[in-house]
Amino acid sequence: MGRLSSRLVRVSRLPARAVRRWRSSLQVRVLSTTMLLGLVAVAVIGVVLSQRISTDLFERRTSEVLQEAARATEQMQSNFDAAAIRTGTEITEMFQYSVQQSLLTGSPDRSVFLLRTPGPLPPAVVNDLVTNEALRSVITPELRAATAAAEGGQRWQSVGIPGDPTDPGALAPGIVVGSTVQVPIAGQYELYFLFPLSAEQETLSYVQRTMTTGGVLLVALLVAMTWLVTTQTVRPVRTAARVAERLADGHLTERMHVRGQDEMATLARSFNEMAESLQDQIERMEQLGALQRTFVSDVSHELRTPMTTVRIAAEVIGAASEEFPPTLRRSAELLMTQLDRFEDLLADLLEISRFDAGAAVLDAERRDVRDVVAAAVDTVTSLAEHKGSWLRVDVPEEPTSVDLDPRRVERILRNLLVNAIEHAEGTDVEVTVGADERAVAICVRDYGVGMSQEAVEHVFDRFWRADKARARTTGGTGLGLAISLEDAHLHGGWLEAWGRPGLGANFRLTLPRRAGIQLTGSPLPLVPDNPMPHAPAVHAETEESSLAREADPAAIPDLDRLETR
Amino acid sequence: MKGRILVVDDDVALAEMIGIVLRSEGFEPTFCAHGDEALDAFRSSSPDLVLLDLMLPGKDGIEVCRQIRAESGVPIVMLTAKSDTVDVVLGLESGADDYIPKPFKPKELIARVRARLRRSSDPAPEHLLIGDLEIDVTGHRVLREGAPIPLTPLEFDLLVALARKPTHVFTREVLLEKVWGYRHAADTRLVNVHVQRLRSKIEPDPENPVIVLTVRGVGYKAGPPDG
Repeated sequence: MGRLSSRLVRVSRLPARAVRRWRSSLQVRVLSTTMLLGLVAVAVIGVVLSQRISTDLFERRTSEVLQEAARATEQMQSNFDAAAIRTGTEITEMFQYSVQQSLLTGSPDRSVFLLRTPGPLPPAVVNDLVTNEALRSVITPELRAATAAAEGGQRWQSVGIPGDPTDPGALAPGIVVGSTVQVPIAGQYELYFLFPLSAEQETLSYVQRTMTTGGVLLVALLVAMTWLVTTQTVRPVRTAARVAERLADGHLTERMHVRGQDEMATLARSFNEMAESLQDQIERMEQLGALQRTFVSDVSHELRTPMTTVRIAAEVIGAASEEFPPTLRRSAELLMTQLDRFEDLLADLLEISRFDAGAAVLDAERRDVRDVVAAAVDTVTSLAEHKGSWLRVDVPEEPTSVDLDPRRVERILRNLLVNAIEHAEGTDVEVTVGADERAVAICVRDYGVGMSQEAVEHVFDRFWRADKARARTTGGTGLGLAISLEDAHLHGGWLEAWGRPGLGANFRLTLPRRAGIQLTGSPLPLVPDNPMPHAPAVHAETEESSLAREADPAAIPDLDRLETR
Repeated sequence: MKGRILVVDDDVALAEMIGIVLRSEGFEPTFCAHGDEALDAFRSSSPDLVLLDLMLPGKDGIEVCRQIRAESGVPIVMLTAKSDTVDVVLGLESGADDYIPKPFKPKELIARVRARLRRSSDPAPEHLLIGDLEIDVTGHRVLREGAPIPLTPLEFDLLVALARKPTHVFTREVLLEKVWGYRHAADTRLVNVHVQRLRSKIEPDPENPVIVLTVRGVGYKAGPPDG
């Protein structure tokens, strides 16, 4: 059963494969067309020629045969006229003699029929004389009637001669020529000669065989020539295609061989020139890019030494700030917190430059994604509390292991959470984890100000701000989401955003559960189906407590409040 | 506890700032701003600890580190702006005990310096046996068949930490805390590099260690004492 079905499949695939070959190979197409056209042309020429030859052969033979028959008839008639015949026996003898005589001259293999014309009985009746009784049937009554009516003229008809011992049904071509002779006493007799056309048939068959062989050879030659020509033409094209493919794969040094001065050599030369300029361009771009990346990295590093000095100085000043007047103390505080922000920015810049340089490596391990989510949520509870947002976390009940780099995924989630809390304006923030066999998705949803379509398109851009007039309160570097996107890509995952003004935003992180899985879909929808928060939400950690503020010594001051008050 | 500290850094402002912090903590800093002069400064000041910037004019920090280590086991702490590069491993391999990535806070600097200068003030004489080695903890000596093996204080601390609990497997994180004084997760490259250095000095065949054994996927443990 299995074998049968597999054979069926193979058979059904065969035409498909042929079609594919036909479509994909110029050579196959040209060869097939040439062969088909060649065969048709040769067949048409063959049929026409063979018909012309056969007509010609037949006509020539017919005129010969008619002449021969006329001569023989004349001879016989003169024999009858000259002889003094009295009895039927004599007539019979005469008949035999005449027939023998007529057989001696002309075509040797003809048959002779001497048949009495039906009519009123003459004084003496002589039996019909037939040299080959078996072939008597070829003389049709119509021919006999026509011959009898012709009154001495010739009548002929082409006939099929039976009697091939190997094939009883087969008929060989032949010609019957009839005329009348007047026999003394016995009256009018019809004389028929049957001439087989086997020699002509043989000639015709020979010619046809020769033509068929010649035609097949011609077509074969044609196909061979076409193959040769197309190969010569197609090979450089194929080489060019292969080289182009290698180029596209990034092997920029790949070149075509240039041979001779013909059009193909011109093609190869132009192709190589193109590849050359392409390589130049790409290398120049790469050098520029590398230069810029090195620059960013160097700047970040060079900044670190003075940064350290400033940092230490600020700390020394900060340590003594107890004795300062209030404005000076606040200034020292601001100096320190903004130094933290500056340091974060520096670290993010360095991280981005690492991605740009391709130096970022994934340090993946198998972890329960729920733990990673919990760790990330823990880091933002105090911020959520400070901002008055409730955090709602919805994770699967069973462990959900994923191959991930915990540091990076936690960083992505922290960025998304901080971003959501910052824009939630006191509404709930929901974290939902969904999983299937291939992927795990984590959605961070808020119901705050939301995003315009334009914002959704640019939200992962570096240093992009949704609302330029909006003051920053949590002091993000402007690189957080850009880094998150790079982190997601490093995992082979997706990071996407959805948002509507006034309806909030949804960020979805989708990660393949095992390294090497190509994502095709996400277990959670990007466009949420709930316009309103899930109610009732569980409060994040504790009620408003002073602990949250003190727990984070590096908390960024609320610039909004500072400016307005 | 208080001691002399040689600060080798070409950035005058940072060196001065570090000096202010060190002095406020009761240390006695001396300075050197050029790689070529570092060794002379080291010899003339004979410090208890060296703070060494990796990027220096003249001889670079790695070369300076190697030269100092060639004649002394004094603790060397590197200051580096590039914490994620091979420079760190190179610096550790050339003999540095620890490193501080820039930018750092003064508390961090003081903590690292203190950790390197901390000596166990345990008065009770203590002798440990590990493999064919005899460790005189109070005398700060390691002997093989009566002959002393020179170790840096850090290597000595590492060996003692392992030898005090033979057969106990130490993770790299635990060793970082016990030997280097890190309270938070830190760079485990520190442990790897120093175990290699220690092995090269005490193992009869460093390729097949019998004294400091690797426990794959976990960490390190001391080999059993001979006999």
